[in-house]
Amino acid sequence: MNLTSIPLLDVLRERMSWLSARQNVLSQNVANADTPGYTTQDMAPLDFGKILKESTQPGVFQGGLALTDPHHIAVSSDTTDGLATTSAAGSPITSTGLAVSVEEEMMKVADTQAQYQAATNLYAKAISMMRTAIDRSGA
Amino acid sequence: MDLATSMLVAASGMRAQSSRMRIIAENIANANSTAANASTDPYRRKIPTITSAFDRELNATVVKAGQPVQDASDFRTQYDPGNPAADKQGYVKLPNVNSLVEIMDMREAQTSYEANVNVLDASKTMLSRTIDLLTK
Repeated sequence: MNLTSIPLLDVLRERMSWLSARQNVLSQNVANADTPGYTTQDMAPLDFGKILKESTQPGVFQGGLALTDPHHIAVSSDTTDGLATTSAAGSPITSTGLAVSVEEEMMKVADTQAQYQAATNLYAKAISMMRTAIDRSGA
Repeated sequence: MDLATSMLVAASGMRAQSSRMRIIAENIANANSTAANASTDPYRRKIPTITSAFDRELNATVVKAGQPVQDASDFRTQYDPGNPAADKQGYVKLPNVNSLVEIMDMREAQTSYEANVNVLDASKTMLSRTIDLLTK
């Protein structure tokens, strides 16, 4: 039992890492706003259904080595826990082919920031609910 | 660490814009710099250039200020026979700096700089919110 195997915290962690990866892409857009020939990039939206399925079915293999040959030995998810890449940070980055509009990017930055705040607040709330449960059991 | 990376990318944008600002300042300051005599040219306007570069260490596209390019357009001339730089007809060559263009360029650099500061600020807030989770 570790913290990431708690579905709610795992989904929030995915969400936060996706949002910070998006913030990274947006900062590249703003920084390159005056670069000739640079086109706007954005992250593909987070597939909530997929993450929900992955985090609520603990038995599902979540990454690791691909089996491309019949001689390959499948590894269990336990041994690759530390190596599995998060699907959030691995979301594809797409180029829209348009020149950078600083106003639009600033809107996206503000939006990302607000959503990140929502995710961290939910995370803190979930932790405090767990703490409440622990306190009650001890009383 | 993504948020730290986005702060560094925003900082690269700020650095590029401030170096652009420096070149614009050189142009404005030298708007009336004439040559020492008629046979040499006065100050020639520099055009700031900005290029993007892929930073392998950060794994992100950062901005770099390129080498400034010399503006090849013609010099302004002014009738001023008393000036030591005046030619035989009494005309002095003045730099090809147009203050209006420079001021517009300066405004643009300022806006871009502010945009980068805002991104830096947003990333910093997100990072501090994450750290705040420790205190909850």
